Amino acid sequence: MPAPSFFEWLSTSPIANAMNGPEWAFPVVESLHFIGFAFSIGTIAIMDLRLLGLLLRRQPARELARDLNRYTLFGLGLMLITGPLMFSADAVAYHNNPSFQFKMVCLTIALLFHFTLHRKATQSSGAWTRFAGALSLLLWTCVVAGGRMIAFV
Amino acid sequence: MTVHAALEWIESTGLSTAIREGALPYPIIGGVHLLAIALFGGMLLMTDFRLLGWAMHRRPVSEIVRQFQGWKRFGFLMVVVSGLLLAWAEPQKLYRSPAFWIKMALFALVGVHALVFRSRVYANTGALDSGITAEARVAAALSLILWAGLIVSGRLIAFDA
Repeated sequence: MPAPSFFEWLSTSPIANAMNGPEWAFPVVESLHFIGFAFSIGTIAIMDLRLLGLLLRRQPARELARDLNRYTLFGLGLMLITGPLMFSADAVAYHNNPSFQFKMVCLTIALLFHFTLHRKATQSSGAWTRFAGALSLLLWTCVVAGGRMIAFV
Repeated sequence: MTVHAALEWIESTGLSTAIREGALPYPIIGGVHLLAIALFGGMLLMTDFRLLGWAMHRRPVSEIVRQFQGWKRFGFLMVVVSGLLLAWAEPQKLYRSPAFWIKMALFALVGVHALVFRSRVYANTGALDSGITAEARVAAALSLILWAGLIVSGRLIAFDA
């Protein structure tokens, strides 16, 4: 199936109808997206500041990662459910929105990085763990910035 | 000066016009507002979860609260300053928005929360290391509810106008 027809189908699917139906649907889902945002990027920022040596230095990074992990995953899960729901409400427009495309590229890189090198950095020590913390902050900042710009492009 | 005249005056200032009409300032300040929410909100979440006994049990309450304090203040300051700039850009729209007034009411309750609980919970964490009091749990639960409400009502402002 060619890509555009998939997005056209999605924007007329039952999910899109539900999102575009009652007036409160989109705001409620978007609010949940923001709660997930506080959980995920909030706890990732704590972890990154620890990797940079700016916070909770007495607690080993490995231990902190274990403490925060479930909240990060909960937040990411909530975002990855509510995000596609919002996307489906106006799939073709989002698909063509440069800010949205930028966000998706950054999100893909940020997620790949988070579950590979970033995770490894929380389990080890050395100068590159600082670099991993800084890079993670930068990647997630790009995701947020891209998301914020969607409404303005 | 009536409220409407005051709001009109705010919108006529150079700063207000620049944020409202420029292509970049509004989304950039909005982005800073969001990033500050992540910084402040994430730490608030973990502080209150620690007080509820749900997270980070491996370290004492006093250490968690002390370590997060500086960053939380920095995040809070960024949220407030960026929020004021956003409000300065379109005060008339906000004045008409029910969600904005709900948000401000919740913000006032955050102040009340601080007056009630600050000295006995958040500034008294040494005593909580030996056992978390019921009062501290109530403070944490209310704090989470208030800030969740602030996030949701803040987001809903966009749908009022």
